[in-house]
Amino acid sequence: MSLEAKDLYAALMHELKNNLGLLAMAMEQIPRQDSEAHDRPLDDARLLCQQVIERLRQSLLLYKAAERPLPIEIDAYSPHEFVQEMRDEAASLAHGRLQVSAAVDDGVPPIWFFDRNLVDIALTNAIHNSLAYARSRIEIRVGMAEERLCITVSDDSDGYPEHLLHAPGLDTPLGSGGTGLGLRLSQMIAQAHVNRGRTGELRLSNVPGAAFSILLP
Amino acid sequence: MALRFVSNNEHLIDYGSLRTLVVDDIPGMRSALKMTLANFGITRTDVASTAQEAIFRLGNGPYDLILADYNLGEARDGQQLLEELRHRGLITLQTVYVMVTAEAMYERVAATAELAPDDYLLKPFNGEVLRNRLEVIFQRKLAFSEAHRRFAEGDLEGAVAACDSLMRNKPRYLVDALRFKGELLNAMGRFEEGEALYRLVIEMRAVPWARLGLARVLHALGRAQEAEAILLDALAAAPEMMAAYDLLAEVRIARKDLVGAQQSLQEGAAISGKTVRRQQQLGELAYENGDLETARTAFQAALDKGRHSIFVSPADYGNLCRVQVEQGNLNGALDTLKKNKDSLQLAPEGQLVTAVIQSMVHSRSGQADLARRALDEAGRLRGEGVHGDGRLMLDLADSCMTQGRNEESDAIIGEVAKNAHDSEALLSKAREIYARCGRAADGEELLKKATADVRKLNNEGVYLAQKGDFDGAVSRLLTAAKEAPYNPRILMNAAWVLLRDADQNGLKEGGLQEAKRLLDEVERLAPGHSRLPGLRSQVREIEARYGISRRPHP
Repeated sequence: MSLEAKDLYAALMHELKNNLGLLAMAMEQIPRQDSEAHDRPLDDARLLCQQVIERLRQSLLLYKAAERPLPIEIDAYSPHEFVQEMRDEAASLAHGRLQVSAAVDDGVPPIWFFDRNLVDIALTNAIHNSLAYARSRIEIRVGMAEERLCITVSDDSDGYPEHLLHAPGLDTPLGSGGTGLGLRLSQMIAQAHVNRGRTGELRLSNVPGAAFSILLP
Repeated sequence: MALRFVSNNEHLIDYGSLRTLVVDDIPGMRSALKMTLANFGITRTDVASTAQEAIFRLGNGPYDLILADYNLGEARDGQQLLEELRHRGLITLQTVYVMVTAEAMYERVAATAELAPDDYLLKPFNGEVLRNRLEVIFQRKLAFSEAHRRFAEGDLEGAVAACDSLMRNKPRYLVDALRFKGELLNAMGRFEEGEALYRLVIEMRAVPWARLGLARVLHALGRAQEAEAILLDALAAAPEMMAAYDLLAEVRIARKDLVGAQQSLQEGAAISGKTVRRQQQLGELAYENGDLETARTAFQAALDKGRHSIFVSPADYGNLCRVQVEQGNLNGALDTLKKNKDSLQLAPEGQLVTAVIQSMVHSRSGQADLARRALDEAGRLRGEGVHGDGRLMLDLADSCMTQGRNEESDAIIGEVAKNAHDSEALLSKAREIYARCGRAADGEELLKKATADVRKLNNEGVYLAQKGDFDGAVSRLLTAAKEAPYNPRILMNAAWVLLRDADQNGLKEGGLQEAKRLLDEVERLAPGHSRLPGLRSQVREIEARYGISRRPHP
């Protein structure tokens, strides 16, 4: 692509993302009627809308990362506040159909250094997966593992397919409903976090149910 | 801000009482934000579509919460709006300012800007996220209310103590408290402590603002080489760090590397050319380096970006016209005056700029009549006490001398020299004017005499103060300040001696007031001069010692 065409392409994706954002905000204004026939399609539409927005955020990030290493902006944030925010966002999409909880393990420091926007993209991807597959509950938990901050999104679904567990991230085949793309991106995000020679990491497991963990040094 | 206490010692924010302003240029976005806010009880919401409208609304009354889009579609963006509101005192440290942006790039602006918003939200965001962020921000504002209050009262020591207490008792605010304390130490001139603080933060993680802070204190400590190395390092990692280009330019000026300083500002302006101050400084440096085309583009950009901005003064029009005249583009200079006639006629300083530039243009194009008329007008304004910056006054003197009005030009040059006895750039420009008119010897004598008086008074004053003769010192330096009322260095020395006198011999009638007045004047003439914070903090120390409170307690 020529330089100009590339800029237009990025601008177009931005515009799509923002218009979808307005659409999502407009849908939030539609009152619920406590009737399954009315509320269910509405909730599905909202979730789908958020998922498309997420895909566009991911595409923009990949677009940027194609030119140079993933741009990363580290600052200090409260892990407590961060998981609470992720929980509330997930709960607003689950609309009571799933129980969404947040938990903070003992020993998590009051602040940690990371790129909030990038980690948000990785976790939102995992949360959207869980919203689609969980039976009744989703948990977002923050703890410490090997001196790294470990944020885990887990659910009570059937868990990840076997092939994803062995090769998460970069070796994941693309396709399979976009799961592969999201995981690849999450691994890039984890690995972009480097501190004192240690690197971030993405871990998937079935505990049972799917568990997605991002470890930040 | 209304708060309710609840049992677990946290506070509930009474959203219904919050006065809120939404600033966005897209009508759909404004109403969507307003509705989202209403969903969680924020109903007292006004909207503005431009930065100018926002400033107008804030002029009419305060808001507790401002939600502004970064991209406002006009000359000023949300970051500049924040800077201008803070600068004009239209918002306080307790006002919540949240930036809304579609660009992940803004993250870098926020991470490195000296005036960061309380938070920023990447569009599109969901209502829950906004509610959560606001909750977190209001709790943090509450935690910092003591530190902010002390700061607003000018009690910087008290603000530092409040930060220290937060660090001990509320570790979740550790980094925020360190950041604010760093700014306070810098403002108080306690640079060694600032250095230790920033090194401590960098030990935790080399966040951009800490590297910038460290470079700033090192520069203030005169360790320009170290400061430059840190800034180059930081810029290699984060080339979007705008404030680093500005600081690097300052550091290089201190190292007398004007070409390097210009280069740094040019690199910064290429990434973000919107900041008026950056363009002004770039123009000045390029002009001094003889790079007239860069100077012209920068001065033009400063005016284009700064429309309606308080950071633009009549001197900026003069700067652009001067470059145009020196480039031989006389019609261009007249065109600039014509296009900006309305702004220039508003203030006498602008009228003086117009008259001086007209006199230059007409005397270069050989229209002696018109030149004379313009000089008469300038002379009339000067007679009324209207004054311009040093360069403009030299332009005026130049025109006068070219028209044979030597007496007038000598008086003006004498005045400029007194007020800039330490400015090699202006003095050598004055010598040039004399040389061109065949009066080099006259000029040398006049400049020597004009600067000698001020220099003598200044040197004697400083010497006497060091010997302990404060009466003699104060009288000499106050005379110098009267002789050279626009000379920042003299005014600061006068303030310094008044403060030392008060420190060692106790308060004297009006002395402290006079010192404060001198420092205010310096702030106006040379905003952000590096000696100011130290002197201001001496004022506060003396006030504290004699129990003078800056504001009556309510």
